[in-house]
This record gives sequence, structure tokens and C-alpha cells, in this order.
Amino acid sequence: MAAINSIVRLLIYCLFFLSTSAFAQQRISGIVTGENNLPLAGATIMIKGANIAATSLYDGSFSINAKSGDLLEISFVGYKTQQIKIGNEISLKIILQTEVVSLNDVVVTGYTSQKVKEITGSVAIIKPKDLTAIPAGQVEQMLQGRVAGLNVITSGQPGAPSNVRLHGIGNFGDVTPLYIIDGVQGNINNLNPNDVESVQVLKDAGAYSIYGVRGANGVIVITTRNGKTGKTKISYDFYMGTTRPLKNGPGILNPQEQADLTWIAYKNSNQVGSNGNPNHPLYGNGVKPVLPDYFIAGQNIGLFANDPAVNPALYNIDFTTAPIYQIVKANKEGTDWFHELFKPAFSQNHSLSVSGANEKNRYMFSFGYLDQKGTALHTYLKRYTTRINTAFAVNNNILIGENLQLTYRDNPRIASQLNTGGLFNEIHQTSQTNPIIPVYDIKGGWAHLFPDYFDENPVALRTIGKDDKSHSWDIAGNAFAEIDFLKFFTARSSFGGSLTNYYSTYYNFINYESLGGFPNNSFSESSGYRRSWTWTNTLKYSRMFDDDHLLTVLTGFEAIDNYNREVGGKRSGFFTNDINYRFLSNGIPSTQENHSFAGASTLNSFINRIDYGFKEKLFLTATFRNDGSSVFGPRNRYGWFPSVSAAWRITEEKFLQKWDWLTDLKLRASWGKTGYYGNTDPFNQYNLYGGSIGDAYYDINGTSSTPVQGFRHVRIGDPNTGWQEDVVTNIGFESVFFNGKLSVTTDWYKKKAKGLLFLISLPDVLGGAARPNGNVGIVQNTGVDVLIGSKGKWSKDWQWDATITLTKYKNKILKLNDLPFFIPPREVALDYVRNETGHPASSFFGYKIIGIFQSNEEVANAPVQNSAAPGRFRYLDANKDNTINANDRVFLGDANPNFTTGINIGFTYKNFDFTAFFYGSFGNEVINYSKTRTDFFAVGIYDAKSKALLYNSWTPQNPNANIPVIENSFNFSNADAINSYAVENGSYFRNKSIILGYSLSKKLLQKMKLERMRIYVQALNLFTFTKYTGFDPELSGQSAAFGIDYANYPNNQKQYLFGVSIGF
Amino acid sequence: MKNSKLFIFSVIAVIYIYSCGKKLDKRPLGALDETALANKRGVEGLLIGAYSLLDGIGGNKSSWYSAASNWVYGSISGSEAYTGSDDGDDPRKAVLPTEKFITLIPTNEALASKWGTVYDGVQRANDVLRIMKKAKDILPDDQKRIAAEARFLRAHYHFEAKKIWNKVPFIDESITYENENYHVSNEKDIWPDIENDLKYAVANLATLPYGNAVGRATTYTASALLAKAYMFQKKFTEAKPLLVTIINSGAFDLVDYHKNFNPGTKNSRESVFSVQMSVNDQSIGINGNYGDMLNFPNGFLFGAQPGGCCGYFMPSQYLVNHFKTNAVTGLPDLNNFNSTNVTNDEGFESSDPFTPYAGMLDPRLDWTIGRRGIPYLDWGIHPGKIWIRSQEHNGPYTPKKNSYYKSQEYQLTDYSFWTNGTTANNVNLIRYAEVLLWAAEVEVEIGSPTKAEEYVNLIRTRAADPTGWVHTYVDANDPSLGFTNIPAANYFIKTYPAGYFTTIGKDESRKVVRYERMLELGMEGHRFFDLVRWGIADTEINSYFLKEKNLRVYLNDARFTKNKNEYFPIPQLQIDLSAGADGIAKMIQNPGY
Repeated sequence: MAAINSIVRLLIYCLFFLSTSAFAQQRISGIVTGENNLPLAGATIMIKGANIAATSLYDGSFSINAKSGDLLEISFVGYKTQQIKIGNEISLKIILQTEVVSLNDVVVTGYTSQKVKEITGSVAIIKPKDLTAIPAGQVEQMLQGRVAGLNVITSGQPGAPSNVRLHGIGNFGDVTPLYIIDGVQGNINNLNPNDVESVQVLKDAGAYSIYGVRGANGVIVITTRNGKTGKTKISYDFYMGTTRPLKNGPGILNPQEQADLTWIAYKNSNQVGSNGNPNHPLYGNGVKPVLPDYFIAGQNIGLFANDPAVNPALYNIDFTTAPIYQIVKANKEGTDWFHELFKPAFSQNHSLSVSGANEKNRYMFSFGYLDQKGTALHTYLKRYTTRINTAFAVNNNILIGENLQLTYRDNPRIASQLNTGGLFNEIHQTSQTNPIIPVYDIKGGWAHLFPDYFDENPVALRTIGKDDKSHSWDIAGNAFAEIDFLKFFTARSSFGGSLTNYYSTYYNFINYESLGGFPNNSFSESSGYRRSWTWTNTLKYSRMFDDDHLLTVLTGFEAIDNYNREVGGKRSGFFTNDINYRFLSNGIPSTQENHSFAGASTLNSFINRIDYGFKEKLFLTATFRNDGSSVFGPRNRYGWFPSVSAAWRITEEKFLQKWDWLTDLKLRASWGKTGYYGNTDPFNQYNLYGGSIGDAYYDINGTSSTPVQGFRHVRIGDPNTGWQEDVVTNIGFESVFFNGKLSVTTDWYKKKAKGLLFLISLPDVLGGAARPNGNVGIVQNTGVDVLIGSKGKWSKDWQWDATITLTKYKNKILKLNDLPFFIPPREVALDYVRNETGHPASSFFGYKIIGIFQSNEEVANAPVQNSAAPGRFRYLDANKDNTINANDRVFLGDANPNFTTGINIGFTYKNFDFTAFFYGSFGNEVINYSKTRTDFFAVGIYDAKSKALLYNSWTPQNPNANIPVIENSFNFSNADAINSYAVENGSYFRNKSIILGYSLSKKLLQKMKLERMRIYVQALNLFTFTKYTGFDPELSGQSAAFGIDYANYPNNQKQYLFGVSIGF
Repeated sequence: MKNSKLFIFSVIAVIYIYSCGKKLDKRPLGALDETALANKRGVEGLLIGAYSLLDGIGGNKSSWYSAASNWVYGSISGSEAYTGSDDGDDPRKAVLPTEKFITLIPTNEALASKWGTVYDGVQRANDVLRIMKKAKDILPDDQKRIAAEARFLRAHYHFEAKKIWNKVPFIDESITYENENYHVSNEKDIWPDIENDLKYAVANLATLPYGNAVGRATTYTASALLAKAYMFQKKFTEAKPLLVTIINSGAFDLVDYHKNFNPGTKNSRESVFSVQMSVNDQSIGINGNYGDMLNFPNGFLFGAQPGGCCGYFMPSQYLVNHFKTNAVTGLPDLNNFNSTNVTNDEGFESSDPFTPYAGMLDPRLDWTIGRRGIPYLDWGIHPGKIWIRSQEHNGPYTPKKNSYYKSQEYQLTDYSFWTNGTTANNVNLIRYAEVLLWAAEVEVEIGSPTKAEEYVNLIRTRAADPTGWVHTYVDANDPSLGFTNIPAANYFIKTYPAGYFTTIGKDESRKVVRYERMLELGMEGHRFFDLVRWGIADTEINSYFLKEKNLRVYLNDARFTKNKNEYFPIPQLQIDLSAGADGIAKMIQNPGY
């Protein structure tokens, strides 16, 4: 619903120009109704070619000053625009016809707003109804499958940000589009979906070049709701429901199977004791492994019931009284760690809003409360949002207003597998923790995993950390003033931005259940703020010449300034673990650590835009922006970003008007440049020195306690780095057939990103300083977006509404300056990814498995391969030099899908409505990382192993297996090489949502004194078709390395909801 | 009306001018630029920063595998110790290939860490030289001294790379990102460059450390490292005068053997080149010999044993067997020492009765390793199995030289870490004893056997002093009460009788000196590099595997390949990244990988 914008605009015109032009004219009044004769409130009545307008009131009435011969244009969202030539009447009755195609909707695009039919760029408009169809709590997740060309990949974790990518991977940093909320760059995560009035996705340079250096990832323009003329509206939306954990866990062996597997592995590796049997701390030294009764007692593992060491009297888990002595039984049936971690979870959402407007003022107030619990223990998003949007008309030509959102957010999450320093997160641990270990010890304490391991009982990890805090308070919004003067000019100034305060605490227990907190407890606390302001000043000149030529010129300046700062500290040695005692000052002073850091950047811009329209059929737009950024060195600080675009509505031409079936056809073409400067450190240009006590101080005097201050090179600077420049060409058409029954929009684009910004991979001989971002190369995306829509009526009661989006892109790295390739950091790519010229971004690279060696003869005749043996992988000798070495690594696929599709089907029957939404991604590869551990005995020999390893691995009798022989050897020919074993087909097709709703009838509503009421039930993720063997092939990740399943929080869990939406 | 329009215009104009003229310079926050450091204080600070990586920790790639002690490459690869831990433990995957060789591949994580760390050190030394050129307030004498210390450190870091990989590039101060000359080849031998740096350091450093800071290099430190470089190239003639100068300087002496391995008595007269460690300095243990953090007896009983984690670097039976001495001569049996084992408690529970080995032993054994039945510093009698992570993988012994006394816990260990295994115990890179043993080697090769014998006997005389042996506790139940004068085992050691070296001849004398190095320097990270420079790595290590695999079944496929495993594979990524725009790698891999 873009209606609000048109109303805002026209209301302004109305207010400003009524008085200034109020002479030598007559007053004309009238009433606007729909086909059903009910009055329409809020319709715009405008005199063509003059900035004179009025709005119909609650009873449909209006009055306007006009003179005879003026052309009156009456428009209202959802209705066909009507033109009436004024004769001598002083009272009009105007009946508006409903319109299927909403070409006259006014939407906000770059620094301006336009009618849909006038837009020359590629802009996708999302209906708010579609947005709230998925109860995700976060606006970006709701865009999945709705916009052709936009891929949205989401984690199942409440509050986790999604990966949103427009037209493929355009850079190797952050590919998130720019979110402009009410004209200011904003944070989409905190937005209450019920507050959103409209969402536009700007998809080509014609549309987004005006955002200059921030535009390359595409721009999503969001406008929040405001009051509409008419009586005060109160609405309340509510849903609640439950999310169910995945039914099937990771498919691991039970304890007895695990023991049998262990025996096979040791025997196959000839690692047996003097009696010819393996020797194992849990399973003994017999011919067959025997499961013990007790897992741990004190330092001993694998004990039986008669052992004096399991005497409960010895038990102690309180380190303050005596040494820890834990007793843990063996769970011979096996612990289902997956379902110990994942439990059904409850969610609820409440949203209340009050809005209204009269000719002078508008207001909207809303309050939202979201409590979305995750299925993994103690993960949730609790968010309280308040929004206050107001606008006031002062005098007749000044409008002042503000949009303000206050957010409080409490969002504990499971750490992503990224950047956890090699330790596994709790989700990964469910496929890793040995099922012989129970959750609790004999007295209800947390069971310790193997005595000498850091890995922690995942249930304990989630539970003991539940008091750690991670809160943020966010204030975002803007204040603006608009002044109309000299008839054709509008000056607008907007000052806005956001201020986020965050606060987190972490308490490390002296825990008995792992080595992790040993031997001291500690408490750390940190807090900081991020502030960003944007000051935009624009001047607009808009004038109609000769009734046919509409010219709009906009020029302006914008300044953006960002700053962030954090302070934090830590102490150890707390006397008690009492939560109320956790204050830094209660720790031992000599253990204290503290830190603070800050960042700053600024951007200055010059904005220009010219729109020209001829007779509603030919439209031209040129934009031109100049950006100057503090992030780059003086030589590369300023950039120019021009664009031109044109649209031709052929159906307005006479020669096509005889084709009744073709309701509307618009051809579009655009070319432009845009830029990207994200993921560049604000101080990228500087060579910096610094250093902490740990990395640069040295105890040169031999004191053992007081090192002398030292410095080291901490950052290599590159003053020559400039921004990435994207040249985008787009050709498309928008067509509507059969009066709206069918519509097709198609775009073809080529997006070439030059001077790709990324951390330069430099050899270690340059030392340990952080690497600068450089302009490392050229990447190109070409693709096609298709949106097909169909809606109509079968009968009075039956209606349908369906849309299909198809997104297809091809990504290719065309050039990498001075580099053969570059690789993302190990923490994000696990060494699987290489970005190399001629290949798509984020391609997987390693040794290709061509089979398993069957015999010694085969090994002898095959190319020389380290650790080759029967039952182990045989790799492809890619360069045919008869030796397998680093030169034989090949590309193993990539995570870019061949195409993705979103299918939305809706029906209404009388008061019932039904919607089903499907999403599919095809042709993408995925790295199933868990498999590289669970399918190889030697990788974590005490960890859980897969059923596939025991039952489907290679043996001389099972020569066609994919999994190598069970053995206790970690080598190049099994798991100690990056190879194709973990690469899987990640295609999937999913039913994201099914909704069945019922709207109460008018009669009932009148009885209940309600305006409207709808109740609905919804089911999410009812089924998924995929061959992927991990939890969920929908994987988020960084753009330089995505498609790697590090135990992501699954996003395919079934969810059932009940909801009510009421208007008073 | 007119006025109001004028007013509006002026407001807009002011706004535009303001937003247009806003400055785009944002100075870096929280860090220094070159100008701030281009002065004496700044350059001295950079020099400290270059020293600070001697411990192998604090660079962006540093880890246990880049430890100053070279426990992974020098000792474990050199048959002195097993990797330890157990197969279920991830860090073991990086270390185990350096023990077994057979699975060693260019993507080994440990080697990547060591490579990154030594070249980080190299560039820190280069930063000193580069920025000093821009400083105006440094007097010529200071300039020389600072350059000498920086070049000494640069030589040391290159030396580390040279002995591990052989084919390595020499990176001087001209190699920078700005100069775009960092795609370097590794085909040129860098010994001459290392020598040049060290010669400069020898010539420009004083005999006493600047400012009496014990951690700084002196002319003797540089001489010792230069002599070591010559030893690695078999340039005995060049090494000899340097060694003689050090020995004759009177600056160094042998102290009680164990004082070299005690954080409370570090930086003694025996210390020639040591890495200084500090704790409780708010570095969260990073400055406290973090690299050896895993190398302690294992177990999670709170505070019950030193360190507390993780059972890595467990002494081999082979090492222990070296310490047997002849009951009559007090000398080791060079040829048959490994035919019988020093008995141990493998297979025994800690609660089972056990009598330690009763035969004659070199007293240095019980300062080198921990074993059942012998006092482990002041921690009590070593209890055997309960301190061992997995006897099957680790054997019955524990490391000791990097350990600390219970009475030092929290004073000389770090308080804020997840183990107490970060300590103020220095890592001895060059001890005076090693200088004497190099001198002995030189004399065997090109000088007098009598002189060689004299040097070896200096070492053995010190070892034979009973005051420096391990003694029993006054009260085994309360070790804090101190020690008796009673030796903890049957220690028996004699010097070689006068004229012995002349009698046995050059080849046997060479063996004696080499054997003495094992006894004196065991578990100190030298052994593998010694075997390689002596050219006997393949025979020694393979014969070790032949016997040791009967004790440690995981070694059953271990094998050292001659002309390959003498040097470790160069990290694959570094080879890949040595390619410039032409895509052709400038660095080449070592043979066989």
C-alpha cells in the first residue's frame, strides 16, 4: 500500500496551495464514491498542471477552487484515475471504478516519489499483506521469494540477521542492500512488520545509482505507516503458536554400535594390545567391547557397578569444599542430544496501533511486543517496539514531521560456528557428543564429557549461560521540514539517524563439567554505543509545461556521520557465583582487564536528479551523485555516479490500443554506475602501529611480572584503495494482460563490479599486521528476473491471486588484480573456498574423489598419492603428472543456485482466504561439514559417529561405498585433505507457509462494534524436498564463503500458529 | 512575502555550504601512525615489539605450534617425546604428523602457524630498521646498537625458518606492501644473509646488555647464534673463534642444572639467549610461555598437579633409556643403551604398588622428565597413571623442564587462564652448556680430542655434583617441608677418564659428544635439527620407530623418508600466495611433498 505517500504528497500540495492560489476561481464541491455507492475517504482531487489539490473527507465530500475548463483528476489507490473537464457545474458526483492494475500508486524511490507508471528503473513493490504472511518477526525474512532477483537466506534462530542478496554476489564483503527507512539509512532488524506501509526494492542503476557509493547492493526503501484522513483507527494484531524441532536428529550410532565401530577401527589399523585386542578406556580390552556401567568417576573412565570408585559418597562438584569428584553413569540406550537441545518453542506477537489524520495533522502510534522463542534452549528474541509518526502543517506551505522508533531488544543466540576459534557450537555438538554420556550425573549435576576435553555438554552450555545478558536499546528516526515556495519549488530538510546502546555480560563459571572455566570464575561486562546521523537537504523544482511535458529537477546535499565506541572490563576470582554478586568491583583487582575502542567515518554527497515525462507514455530519468568518503585516501576519496534510464509505455500509443487484451506494456532500459564502500575498515588507508600487552610487550628486564611496553605494526595501510564501482545495465518490460488477470515483468541485467573491495590475501612474509582492503578485481553478474502474477474472479465468491518469481543469475570473477585467487579467512571457509578468476564467487576447491581404492594393485598402478591404501579415497590426477599433490586440486562446485523461485497462491471464497507460499532453490552445492567428522572414525575418536560409517563404509565386501574404510588413521587419503566428500547438492523446494483465514461478516462486525476482524491459522515449513543429508540446506554465510553448513540453526522447522487481526 | 522567501533561500544556502564543506579526514582512533613512532622512544618500543615475538606467541598466526621451545619440530620430530594427548583431541591432529612423518602434508596447521610467526618476527625487526631511518633524534651509537639488536632478532627468526624448511626467503627491510616486492622466491640459500646480520650484531653490540636488561642481546649472544649458524653449515673453523671468545670471556658459567628450568632462578650465569616470560601482567597468560601450555601432566583435578592440562609432549622411552649409566664407570653405554628399558609403571594403576627403576641413572634424567615414584618438584611423588592422559598414547612419563613449583603457583603462573600452565619459566634458546658442547664438537671435528673431552667433562662434572640432584622429600605427604640430601634414585655419573677421547678416536668421540647433547639438552627442542645437521636423521629416527612402535601402537606406520623428511613441507598457502599476477608461484616446495 503505497497510498500513504500519495496522500502525504497531495495533502501537502493541498495545504500549501489552496490559499496562495485562491483568487479568480470558483469553488467546486462534490462527493467521491466507489461503484457500490459507499463514500471514499482520502481520494485525491487535483487540478492538472497546477499544484492545487484536495482530499475527500470521511463522507467522500470535497471542495476545490477551480475555473471552468480546468481538468480535474480524481485518484485513489486501488481505483482507476478519472479525469473530468470542468464546465459550469459547482457540484460533482464522481464514481470511481476499481482498478486491478495499480499504475497510479505513488511509491517512494530515490529521494523522491513517483507514480508506478512513471518509474523508469526496475523497482519491485511488495504488498504489506505479503510481508506479514510469514510471521518471522523481521522484515527482511518476509521478502524471501517475493521479489524476483532478491535471494533471502535465513537462519532458524530468532533474531539472527538473514543474508539478503540482490542479483547475486556483487562483492566479497557485506552484500546486504542499503535499507532506507523513511529516508534515512536504517536497521531493518528492529522494524515491527506491522508498522510497515510499503517496501520498494530498487533493482537497477536507474533506480539506485542516486544512492551512489552505498547503492551497489541494491536499495530497499521502506516507508512506515502514518495516519490517514478519516476517523481514528485502532487495530490490534496478534498471533501465537509453537515451533517444533526437527523430527530426525543427526543419525548417529547408539553406544553399543559406537563400541563395535571402535573395535573395527582399531583392528583395521592394527592398533591392538599384546592380547590382540584393542585397548580402550571405555570398552576394555576384550575380544568384544563391553559397555561400562559408569562413564566417569573422578579421574577414571569406564567403570562397573562394583567399582569402589563409583561410591556416591565420593561425589563432589563443589570446588570450594574439596577436589571435584564427579560420578556419571553410562547411558547404554544412548542420549538423544539433538532433542535434548531442541525442544518445542512458543511464540507470540502483539501489535497495537492507533492512527488518524485531519487536514492539518497526522499521527500514528504503535506498540509491538514480539516474544519469539527458538527451539534450541534459551534462544529467543524479545523485542518491544514503539513507533510515533506525526506530521503537522504549519502556515500553508510548511510541513513538519517526525518518524521515531524506540526499540528494546533482548536476543540471546547460539554463537554461529564462525569465529568461535575452532570450538564447536552447541548445534554442532549434538552431532558430535557421544551418546553414552547422559545429560546429568548421578546427582543431577551436568555430566562432563570426556575428562580432558573442552567440549562442553551442550545442554549445560545453553543453560548455565542463560543469565548472560545481551541487550540493546535503539532509537531511530528522523525529523523533517518541507517548505513549498515560488509555486514550483519544494525545499526539504531531514535530519535523522539512529543511536544504539548495547550492553552485554558474560560469566564464566568455575565449572566442573568441562575444562572451559577452569580454574577461576570470571565476569566480563561491556557496553557501547553506535550513532549515525544523516542530514539531507534537497530542493525540488517540478513543473508541467504545455500539459504534456512534466519536468522535475531535484538537487541536494547529504552528510552522513558515523561513530561508535565501546568500553568493557573483566575480573576473575569471584567469591560466589550468585548472580547478584556479579559486578566487576567484586573480582580480584590484580586480575582485571579492560578495553575500549572506537571507530568513525563520514560521507558527504551531492545529489541530482532529473525526471521528464511526456504524455504519460515516455519517461526519462537521469541521476547524478557525487560522494566523498573518509574511508579512502585523499586520491580516491571522491566518486561520480551517473545513471540514465528510460521507459516507454507502448500501450499509450495509438497503434496498440486496439489490442484490448494488452492492458499495459512498458519497456524499460537503464544504465548507470553505482558504488560500494562497505566492509572497508574506516582506517584502511593508514599504516598503523599499536599492540597489546600480550602481543607487543616484552619482559626485557626479566622481572617475570612487568613487561615493558612495545609496539608492532597492527595494520598495513593502502591509500590507493578506492571504492568498488558497479556498472549496471538493465533492460526490462512490465506487461499486464486481460485487464489484470495476468501480468508479467521481466528484467535482464548485467552488473559488472570493478575494483572489488576485499581483504587482500598477502603472503606471511609481510608480517602479522592486518591486511588492507584493496580493489582486488572484477566480478560480473548477469541474470534474469521474472515475476508472473495472475488474479481474478471465477465467480462472485471465488477469487484467486497468484504470483511466481524466478531469479536466475550467473556469477563470474572476471579478473583479480595481481592475485591468482584469494581465499576467505579459515574461520568462515574452513579452507574449502577459493575465489579465482573465471569461476563463481565462493567456489569450493580441493581434491576430487574419483572413487575408493579397491586393492593394493590399484594403489600400485595409480598415481602416487600420500597415504594411499585400499579402502581410502582415490583422488583425481587433474594435471596427469602421475602424482597427487597440490596442483591436482580442482573446483568442486559452488553455492550459487542456478535459479530460485517463490510461488505464492491465494484463494478467497466468501469470507475465507487461503494462501500457500513455496520457495525453491536449485543447483547450489553445500558443504556438509558435520559429515567430515561423523563419517571418519579418526576425527574425534570419542565423538559420536554416523550410522552410515558403521553400515555403509568401504569393506572388501562393500566395494561401492562412498565412505572410506573404518580405521583409526587421519591422513591425506581420508579426512586430512580438503576433498569433495562433504560437497552435496543443496537444492530444495519448500512449502514455507500455508494460511487459512476467515474474516467476520459485516453483520457480525456491526454487532460486535468492530470495523474488521480476521482470524487465521497458519502452518510453516510443512514439507521440504531435498537430497541434502544435513539438517537444512538453507544456509547463511558470508558472501566470500557461503553454503558451508557449520551446524546452522535449522530454518525448516515446522511451526503452527493461530492469529487474530482486529480493527476498531 | 519577499523577505520570507529571501530568508528561506539564505537558510538553504547556509545548510548547503555547511554540508558541502564538511571535512573528510578521520584520523585513526586508538592506534599510532609512523610519524608518532619515528623517534627514539618509538623505535625502542618497536624493538621491544620485535623481541616480544621470541616466545612465538602474539602474532596473528601464533599458537602452541609456534612455541619458542620448538617442542613440536625439535623434540617430537627428534624422537625425544611422543605427541601425547589422545586421538580424540583435535590439536593432536596437527602435531602427530611431525612425529610420524608419513602423514605430513603441506597443509599441516602446525607448520602454517610456525611460518606465520617467524616471518611476523622478521617484519617486526624490519619495522625497527625502517622507522629508525625516519627518526631524527637517535644518536649514532644508539642507531648502531638498535640496528644490531634488530638484525640479531631478524637473523634468529630466519634461522628458525631455515632449520625447519631449508628453502626459505630472506626478507629484509626493503620488502613491504608499498614496494610491491613481496612475491619472493625461496630458491636462494639464505645462510649468507643470516650470517651478515649476525656479524653486524657481533660487531655493534656491547658485552653487557643495554640498560642491564637481561633479555637483550649482547655481542656474546650474537656470537653464540652466529656460531650456531656455522655449526649448521659445518663451518667449524669459523665457529671456533667465536666459541672460544665466549668461553674465555668469563661472562658465563654453569650453575646447578635444575636452576635453568625454574622460573625462580632464571637468567642465571648459564643463560646466553633466553626468551623472557612474564605472568599476571594482564596479558591473560599470553606472555607466560603460552606455547608450552599444553605440555603438562594431565588431569582435571583442581589444583592437584602442575599445569593441569593437557598431556602433550610426553617423553619417549628412548629418551629415558639414554640416561642409564654403567654401574662401574658411571658412563653411558652408547651402543646398547636402548636394548633394555628403564622400567616404568605403564599398565599400573596409581593405586597399584610400584618400585621405580633400581639401576644406575644419570641424575639429569629426573630434571628432564617426570616419572612414577620420584619427587616432581614440590608437587609430591609423581603418582604415575592419574597424571597421564592416556598411557596407551602417552607412555608413563611427563615433561618437567617447562614446569614450575607448587609454591610458585599464582606468583609465577598466570592467575587468569583456564589452566595454570602459563608460567614465568623462560625458554632457554642457548645455554652456556650448549656453547661448551658446540666447542666440543668443533674440537672433535677440527681440533684436539683432549680439548673436546675437557668441554664434555665440564658438563658432566656439573651433572655429577650431588647438591644439584633430585632429592627425596623430608615428608612425602607434605612436600612443602622441603627435601633431604638423599638422592631420589640411584644416580651415578662420572666424567670421561683422561685421554679417553684420544683412545677411542674421532668417530667414537663424535658419538660421545652427540650423545652428551641428548643427555644435557633433552626436551629442549634441539634434537631433530641436530640429527639433520649431522646427516643421520633417517637412520636414527627409523631405528627409533622400529623399537618404539612396540610400545606405542599408533606408531606402527611411522616412517622417516630420507631426502624428504629432513625438512618440513612449506605451507601450501604460502606457496600459492607467492604467485604474482602471472599466476606462477615464486616459491617452490621442498622435495618429496
